[in-house]
Amino acid sequence: MLFMRQTLTIAGKDLRSELRGKEAINASVSFALVILLLFSFAFDPASDLTLEISGGLLWLVFAFAGALILNRSFSREQANDCLDMLVASPVSGAALFLGKVIANAILLTIVELICLPVFGVFYNVNWTRQLGGLFLVLVLTTWGLTVIGTMFSALTVNLRLRELMLPVLVYPMMIPGLMAAMQLTTVLIAGEPIAGDNMVWLRLLIGFDIIFTSLAVALVETVLVS
Amino acid sequence: MDERNFTYMFLGFAAAWAALAAYVVFLGAREGKLRRQLENLRRMVENREK
Amino acid sequence: MREKLLYGLALAGGLLLVRNLYVILLGFENEASQGAIYRIIFFHVPCWFICFSAYALAGGSSILYLWKRKTIFDDLAVSAVEVGVVFTAIGLLTGSIWGRIIWGIWWTWGPRLTWAFICLLIYLGYLMLRRAIEDPTERAKNSAVLCIFAFTSVVITYKAIDWWRTQHPGAVLSFRTGGGNIEPAWEYMLLFNFLALALLSAPIVMIRMRQEKTQREIDGLRRRTHEL
Repeated sequence: MLFMRQTLTIAGKDLRSELRGKEAINASVSFALVILLLFSFAFDPASDLTLEISGGLLWLVFAFAGALILNRSFSREQANDCLDMLVASPVSGAALFLGKVIANAILLTIVELICLPVFGVFYNVNWTRQLGGLFLVLVLTTWGLTVIGTMFSALTVNLRLRELMLPVLVYPMMIPGLMAAMQLTTVLIAGEPIAGDNMVWLRLLIGFDIIFTSLAVALVETVLVS
Repeated sequence: MDERNFTYMFLGFAAAWAALAAYVVFLGAREGKLRRQLENLRRMVENREK
Repeated sequence: MREKLLYGLALAGGLLLVRNLYVILLGFENEASQGAIYRIIFFHVPCWFICFSAYALAGGSSILYLWKRKTIFDDLAVSAVEVGVVFTAIGLLTGSIWGRIIWGIWWTWGPRLTWAFICLLIYLGYLMLRRAIEDPTERAKNSAVLCIFAFTSVVITYKAIDWWRTQHPGAVLSFRTGGGNIEPAWEYMLLFNFLALALLSAPIVMIRMRQEKTQREIDGLRRRTHEL
């Protein structure tokens, strides 16, 4: 299908561009490590408390580090009128958007996969007990965060205060997804599978993804075309 | 106990109304500013057209 | 004609409010466990009704703007959001004061309060975005998209947090609980006060909309003076 090909082409372009320079990934991973370090000062990493807040901590790290990647998503196209060219090209706005979302999601997942072992070592947490469930939550949440982040990156691309506005707008929007992810991750890291009461969080996460992806795909064309 | 509750109740009501009043005052101030700008500009346009 | 409508609505709202206050302060007795402070609920709850209605109105208006591209819908959206934000603040304020008396704390991260605070942040972000975009069409278009996202997020967060911890008093209105949670007289008062506040808010929204229109006129005149 043409749409799929366009989307994957855009995704490939963004990934190749990023992996060549590795600026965003480096910044993101460094930032994540710094936050992990800072959190170790905020409370005692050796205590039992760590298991209880593990989900929250991880997702805060991912959300903050992710913002660095998401910010660059559309701002990278500003130079040389790239964005105008892309919008004017036969690639539909939705394909452009989804391509970027896929690329950002992959980049963010790479950052997360690097941070997980580091987290395990620093905070003495064994996170491998429910690996399948953990990766499911990781993928679902990363998708949701990336959809919102990329959408708002498109929305704020022309603003002077882009770097300021993006976090302010994006974090409150992400809260339902982050909440669900934090709950589920804490449960999974503790070694319990997702079942019973926790299913409602999984459903929230899936619903969050579906609703925001649909909204974004429907509205992104409007935002990109001036 | 009831006396103190009454005080807080009035404080609560007062705070709510104060906030609303503040917004209305802010709207009024903006209205005045907009009106003045409009008058100035209208005069400027008339003068330039003459 | 329009002025008369504005004043008429404000007056009706004002009169209803005075009547309500009279009933609240003198007609109702002190509640057993809470003393006088419980009366704050008669402003607190209607505040949130107005707030939610305002955000829903803004969301709907934003959809209409994107569909029809008429500036009046953009004006309505921003006016509704501003009023919504004011009432969110008032709701948080009154709730906080009530909480200080009843629970002993100004704040707690319970579901309703957390949701309300998130709501405030989201729509303050909306207002900030509007200030950051200078071109009117661009501003209207982008803030409309944001408003739609905002309302969706607000609804999802509201439902999600509802499933979570609960310290805030639960639903009280009959249509949600099937009756029996609250005295009928109180329920009527809540709805009456909602009506009163709505009657007072309508002129505010209309005035705010007119200000947007005036601003456009000013911008137009500015362009003309530059040309001349």
